Amino acid sequence: MEIEKFLKLLVEELELESPLTVTTNLKELEEWDSMVAMMLIGAVSNEFDMTLSAKDIEEITTVQSLINKIGVEKFS
Amino acid sequence: MKKSILITGVTSGIGKAIAEELLLDSNIQLFGIGRDRTKIQHLINNNVNFTFINFDLFQIDKVEGLFKEEFNDIKFSGFIHCAGIEETLPISLYTPEKVRSIFQINVFSAIELLRFLSKKKHSLDGASFILMSSVMGELGQAGKVGYCSSKAALLGVVKSLALELSKRVIRVNAVLPGIVNTPLTEKLFEQLDEENVRKIKSMHPIGIGEVSDVVGILMYLLSDKSKWVTGQNFKIDGGYSIQ
Repeated sequence: MEIEKFLKLLVEELELESPLTVTTNLKELEEWDSMVAMMLIGAVSNEFDMTLSAKDIEEITTVQSLINKIGVEKFS
Repeated sequence: MKKSILITGVTSGIGKAIAEELLLDSNIQLFGIGRDRTKIQHLINNNVNFTFINFDLFQIDKVEGLFKEEFNDIKFSGFIHCAGIEETLPISLYTPEKVRSIFQINVFSAIELLRFLSKKKHSLDGASFILMSSVMGELGQAGKVGYCSSKAALLGVVKSLALELSKRVIRVNAVLPGIVNTPLTEKLFEQLDEENVRKIKSMHPIGIGEVSDVVGILMYLLSDKSKWVTGQNFKIDGGYSIQ
C-alpha cells in the first residue's frame, strides 16, 4: 500500500480531525484513547490481515513506528 | 438549525405514529425509510420537512450507497429503528433461511445503519439513537424463537454501542413495548386462535397499548430531557412484564 493512501485511510477510519504524516505521534493525538486503539486494530486487520497485540499498541508511537510493526515491505 | 432525524419502518405502526408527532415540530427535518409510500402519502404530500426514502432493508449491502446518495451532507441528531418483522413458528420449522430473514430486518439492518450513523460525518455529538425492541426481548413465548432472539439481540447492541459512543455523548437506548395495536400485531393475532388472543390481552393489566402510548417515551428519549440516559431498556407494556 502507498504510504499516502495509508495515511488517508487512518484519518478516515480513526475519524481524525487533522491529516497525518509519518512523523505524527498517534498517542499525542487529541482523539487517542482505547476506542481509537480498537479502531486502529480493526483497520490494520482489515487491510493487512494481521492483528496488532496490546503490546504492539503500547509500543507504537509515530505512524512510522506503526508501519514498522506492520512491515515496511508492505508499503511503497 | 433544523434537527435531522431518521426513522425506519416509517410507513406503519409505531414508526408512522412517531413520524406524525415529529412532523408537528417545524424545526425537525425527518427522513423516513419504508417500502410502501402509499401508506403515508398524506404525510409525504403535506410536509416539506419530510423526505421519504423507498428502501428495502433486506438489501443491507445497499445501505452504504444510501448514505452516500441520500444522506451525504446530513448529520443526524436522532435515529429510531422501528422496522421489524415477526413470525410465529415452532423451532422445528425455523430453518437457517428463516432465522436469517428475521434477523436481517430486526437486527442486521439496524447495525449496518448504525455503522454509518456512528461516524462523525453522519451524526452530531449528543445525538440519540433508539432501537425498538419488545418485551419479547426479555421474555419468551412459544413459537417466537426468531422474534424473541432478534429483539434480545438489539439489547446487546444498545449496551455495547452506548459505551462505544459515550465519548461523543451519543445516547443509545432500547424501547420494549408490549402488545400494541399495530398492523404487525393484527398479523400476529390472525395466526392465533381466539382463546389465545383473549389470553394475551388479559395478560396486559391495563390493556394492550395504542401506538400513541409509545410515542411519549420516544419523544423523551430523543429530547435533551433524557441527556443522562443511555444504554437502557425501557419496557412500556401496560404491566405485562411484572406478573
